[in-house]
Amino acid sequence: MTKDLEHKFISEFQKNQNIIHKVCRIYTNNQEAHNDLFQEITIQLWKAYPKFRGDSKLSTWMYRIGLNTAITLYRKSKRSVITQDFDSVLHRIQSTDYDNTEEEQLKLMYKAIHQLSDIDKALIFLYLEDKNYKEISETIGISEVNARVKMNRIKTRLRTILNP
Amino acid sequence: MDELDLLKKDWKKQDADYPKLTYNEIYKLIHKKSSSVVKWIFIICIAEFLFWGGINLLIPDSYFEIYEKLHLKTIIDFTYILHYAIVIVFIYLFYKNYNAICVIDSTSLLMKNIIKTRKTVNYYVYYNIIMTIILSVIINFIMFSDAKLLVEVFNPDNKPIDADKFFNILLIAQIIGLVVMIGLLWLYYRIIYGILLKKLTDNYKELETLE
Repeated sequence: MTKDLEHKFISEFQKNQNIIHKVCRIYTNNQEAHNDLFQEITIQLWKAYPKFRGDSKLSTWMYRIGLNTAITLYRKSKRSVITQDFDSVLHRIQSTDYDNTEEEQLKLMYKAIHQLSDIDKALIFLYLEDKNYKEISETIGISEVNARVKMNRIKTRLRTILNP
Repeated sequence: MDELDLLKKDWKKQDADYPKLTYNEIYKLIHKKSSSVVKWIFIICIAEFLFWGGINLLIPDSYFEIYEKLHLKTIIDFTYILHYAIVIVFIYLFYKNYNAICVIDSTSLLMKNIIKTRKTVNYYVYYNIIMTIILSVIINFIMFSDAKLLVEVFNPDNKPIDADKFFNILLIAQIIGLVVMIGLLWLYYRIIYGILLKKLTDNYKELETLE
């Protein structure tokens, strides 16, 4: 039974693992921290999986646990983490697709996001993932109106960080 | 183009760039140990229950003999029974609140439930401290109300002593003990909240001010 569940979880997880990478991208700014958070979220997902009823989409469920782990449950640990090659990801910005100004702007943008509070990061993450305000408000647990107000403030803040 | 649109465009492109974990790698990951705040809170709370529940057992038997001589045994026995009944209520409340912590809840509800669980244990510790203080006041009151008996019990060989000096030392020793105990507790909570819960409570406050 556990083996079946394990198998099912791992296969589903394999298909959706990018969601977790993206949460880590917003909340961490180095490879080691990225891997550590990735690991903790994966453990939390697996612990919660037996209760996953399938009445919501697996991806929605993963967003919630991913963000909740990053904001609330996660503590930096000293354990050794499985190391992976993230260099390609982190340096991708330097690829030829971009001209220098865009590249520079994006770098600044991610730097600015890393300066935001944990809650603000969650909002901007959900914005980047094209979630509507209803979903955002349900995920964070604030009213839709407040989610809108907060989002506008964050956007303004990001713009002013970039164009002082 | 606006910077935010640029960011969104870039964000959508990144999907293909992350390394894909293999089945075996994920298998290994899910069998690692969590280091989540909830897990630590659970461990610390259990330790606190055991500490405060077991501290009575550390009192040497000779103390009970003294209590018996001072005619305090009934009151001590009564408070023990009351104490353990209250401990059971606290353990039940802790278990109930801990079970309510659900990682799929909204962020604010999750935080609220974690804080609630932690608060149950805080109240348990406050209860223990207040109980200790009240009990020592009562015991002192009874002890000092019969000074002759007190000197007899603590000075069975009937050595010549200055009674006033003896009472002062006894009182000062108790006050110092109390201050040290409260100091240690304060330090302990600074550490617990400083290390474990600061991030959580800060984030929770931010959400609260928002609503």
